[in-house]
Amino acid sequence: MKGIFSVLVENKDGVLSSIAGLFARRGFNIDSLAVGETDNREISSMTIVSTGDQRTIEQIEKQLNKKVDVIKVRRLSEQKCVTLEMMLVKVSCSASTRSSLIELCQITGAKIMKVSPKYLLLEYHADPEGVEDFISLVKGYGILEIQRTGAIAMEKS
Amino acid sequence: MIGAEAMIKCLEAEGITKVFGYPGVAIAPFYEGLYNSSIEHILVRQEQNAGHAASGYARVSRKPAVCVVTSGPGATNLITALATAYADSIPIVAISGQVSSELLGRDVFQEADMRGATESFVKYSYLVKDPDDIPRVFKEAFYIASTGRKGPVLIDIPIDVQNRELSKPFAYPESVSIRGYKPEIKVNMGQIGKVVAALNQAKKPLICAGGGVILGDGEGILRRFCEKFSIPLVSTMMGIGVLPKKHPLYFGMLGNNGKPYANKAVVRSDLLIIVGARLADRAIPKPENLAQRVAIIHIDIDTAEIGKNLGPTIPLVGDVKDIFAALMQEEIRPAGQAWIDELEDIKHSTVDPRVFSDDWVNPNLLVQKLSEKMDDDAVYVADVGQNQLWSADNYVMKEGRFMTTGGMGTMGYSIPAAIGAKMYAPKRQTVAVCGDGSFQMSMNELATIRVGNIPVKVLVVKNRYLGLVREYQYNTYDAHYEGVKLYDWPRYDKIAEAYDMPFFHCRTSAELDGKLDAFLACPDACLMVCEVDSEDRVK
Repeated sequence: MKGIFSVLVENKDGVLSSIAGLFARRGFNIDSLAVGETDNREISSMTIVSTGDQRTIEQIEKQLNKKVDVIKVRRLSEQKCVTLEMMLVKVSCSASTRSSLIELCQITGAKIMKVSPKYLLLEYHADPEGVEDFISLVKGYGILEIQRTGAIAMEKS
Repeated sequence: MIGAEAMIKCLEAEGITKVFGYPGVAIAPFYEGLYNSSIEHILVRQEQNAGHAASGYARVSRKPAVCVVTSGPGATNLITALATAYADSIPIVAISGQVSSELLGRDVFQEADMRGATESFVKYSYLVKDPDDIPRVFKEAFYIASTGRKGPVLIDIPIDVQNRELSKPFAYPESVSIRGYKPEIKVNMGQIGKVVAALNQAKKPLICAGGGVILGDGEGILRRFCEKFSIPLVSTMMGIGVLPKKHPLYFGMLGNNGKPYANKAVVRSDLLIIVGARLADRAIPKPENLAQRVAIIHIDIDTAEIGKNLGPTIPLVGDVKDIFAALMQEEIRPAGQAWIDELEDIKHSTVDPRVFSDDWVNPNLLVQKLSEKMDDDAVYVADVGQNQLWSADNYVMKEGRFMTTGGMGTMGYSIPAAIGAKMYAPKRQTVAVCGDGSFQMSMNELATIRVGNIPVKVLVVKNRYLGLVREYQYNTYDAHYEGVKLYDWPRYDKIAEAYDMPFFHCRTSAELDGKLDAFLACPDACLMVCEVDSEDRVK
């Protein structure tokens, strides 16, 4: 199962490596990790997405809570939250394939950030599944480079 | 006031009177502070032992103890002791010197990234970059080490921070406020109700007590609880001492190194109440099988322990004293005598198949006699290996302390830990029991004992082998003994002589009484060697 954790942490050096180290040491997976400051500069917010059986997901929550620099851990339910991931991707294209790629961007809402003779640099954001879908759509053209931010999430209520 | 002086002030404010350490340049300003203070420094002979000594001191004093090392190799030498304390939840505040802060990260002489290196072996760590932070950091470190699930905290301080002036007058904080750390837990009365219902339903309840009971000062109340409701108790290795060995409700140590009848008690029970134990593989090898058969109540101060190795029927998080104080107020039907009788029958029908030769010292007899002859409140520190398991198996608990490293199993623990224990409680008889392997891992500390006139007694169970590995090779690899032979050296009489210590040598069980009496009566630090047959096994 998937675990989405919204974690408030002290914005201090060493905290990110301590959290990442916890996952590594206990054999938990990190599917994605996104970190940024909150409106309070002393506090950062992390969104961590992980997969594992129920016991693992529970352990992740408990172990995160044990960390002195972790202020709050919330486990978000996939149904009750908005998740979003952003991606930059360079997709190879030639004169003959460019127009179909542009059409695909128009349908999916991907933004064209740069046009070059050999590729288009696209920006796309969606929930992580949507990002995966988009990748499979453009795969046929040839992906030259890809950068994903990892998911961020927020409860709707 | 400079940072180093502030560090001393902080230790004084925490009531610290003794620190165990090993100096170096990166911690020299702090040592200059020590020179001018009333805090006593005990120089160990290797940094790891400063950590173990602090561990022994902390366990007997039940308060955080302090060790100090320099940067680089001094600090990395300490890591094993930190890991040992972390595994056994022992409160230690470790101070390490660090290279000058402007040089951090440049791989200069004796630089080691201690925060990074100890990340998984400490409860929390600090790298102090501003001397004005010292009072807050120390206050927090002692608070974190000694509250909730206890454990070691590291304070890494660059030399320039120790030397720099504080910009404001020194003031030690009165309280601590850490957003992410709130260790006080209120007892959940709803869960207490469930525990009471389960106890009233159970015909064969059994308590399994771990080291957490002792760490939480819960021995007294747990004992009263067992007695009030006639509930029998088994313990893990770290829980030895929760009940005296001869208590009618005590049924021994469980686990693959424990008493077979303690394990049978677990199997026969219909309700297992686990208190302050993490249930690692050595205690319960297949917890999932157990959980299918019996109802389980798991009581621990650390939420993350509950459900980590075993899914309990009823989880209960909190302080052992608070929880059992609440349970004592409840109406609980005492467990019937039939269950106790059943356990007694199992206990007395268990036959030990091992035979011990009269030509050597029988290690079981040795531990029984030694612990029976020791003072009622004596401290017995067992090392790691066969000596530890013979100790755990045969130690006759009275009102004293049995200490060992159950979690990490660090060889060489007993002598420095005994030093620490004795430094806190000089009037309590203190004996370190080790094998010839573990003795040689910390025999350099005989110098600490000699120089400091610390009357610790050291007893070596000598069988000329790394016995526990040998036994494993016997059982698993068809007795292919590889890398385990220690031969007959060192000459222990000469070691004792080198440190000007009285020496006692016991060759057979028949000699035990006389030799042990002399060993225990000796007012000074002394060394005793018992010759044990290398064929003797722990099970």
